[in-house]
Amino acid sequence: MGELGVGQTDGLLKTFVGSCVGVTIFNRRRKLAGLAHVMLPESRGQSSQPGKFADTAIPEMLRRLEKFCGGETVRWSAKIAGGAKMFAFQADTTVGDLNVAAIEHILAELDIPILAKCCGGKQGRRIAVDVATGTMTVETIGAEPQRF
Amino acid sequence: MPIRSLTSQTDLFKRAAAEASAALSKWLSRPTSITINRVSVLPISEAVSLLGLTETPLVACAMQITGLFSGLLVLTSDDASGLALADMLLAREIGTSTTWGEVERSAAVETANIIGCAYLNAMALDPGNGAGDGKQPLMPSPPWFTRDYAASVMQSILMAQASLSDDIFMTHTDFRVDDMPGACSLLFIPEAEDLG
Repeated sequence: MGELGVGQTDGLLKTFVGSCVGVTIFNRRRKLAGLAHVMLPESRGQSSQPGKFADTAIPEMLRRLEKFCGGETVRWSAKIAGGAKMFAFQADTTVGDLNVAAIEHILAELDIPILAKCCGGKQGRRIAVDVATGTMTVETIGAEPQRF
Repeated sequence: MPIRSLTSQTDLFKRAAAEASAALSKWLSRPTSITINRVSVLPISEAVSLLGLTETPLVACAMQITGLFSGLLVLTSDDASGLALADMLLAREIGTSTTWGEVERSAAVETANIIGCAYLNAMALDPGNGAGDGKQPLMPSPPWFTRDYAASVMQSILMAQASLSDDIFMTHTDFRVDDMPGACSLLFIPEAEDLG
């Protein structure tokens, strides 16, 4: 929860989300990918756990990914999943909705296209990102895995 | 807002858990025992995995609490224990229920209601909370049933506190009932502003 990781060449980055949102940024040619588990849209000055907030997770993930690139400009892409409303008593506009909106806004400002989005609903999700390909696999209980 | 901060009320949480256990025993007409009764402040990652499950399904019946203080009261179990509880209530042989149909869900929700109200009553009637005048009762919402990845459920119920702090204050009580394969857990997670 609120964590962030990056990988190079191979392996899987995994997380579970409910109302939180998983955001992956990747470059298939360079076999680089990162995954952040975003809990809230804005950090408002908090910096102890950058993966927790959309406005700190995405810049921090890019900073870590770009360390592998030797100063070369890289064209990044993104995919997002999560933002469920798991309990009926949660507000109509949930923190998950706000997270998704904040992530979309930040990625748009950075000119990073969102190639896949699996958000909303009432169920939690298990997310796995293949570092080599950027393929995001999303599982929910009782359903077949979806690949994006 | 309570007169005394919640974090200093360990004895009150113990009394509330004992009342909840007694209510569960009466509800099921079977002996119950409390096997874990903790008041903890945990880093978020430890709180998420408190019940020792992440990928396996967790059944949760959550009630939103408002009034004297705010928060969530959540009854959780694994599938086997929750379905066994349903079988006990429905006077069926344990193992009869294998999936969460409407009847089994209703049994879980009613159990959460019984246990939760006993827990809250014990807290509300504590004279130190200033609740005796009845001006600020504790009001639970109807329990909401969900069955999902344990990590996803725990994240969602911890969200309100986790959004304001890197540590989570919560109470955790495990109840064991005769013939039930595992335990069911009652979690109380107050809103951050009530943690004076």
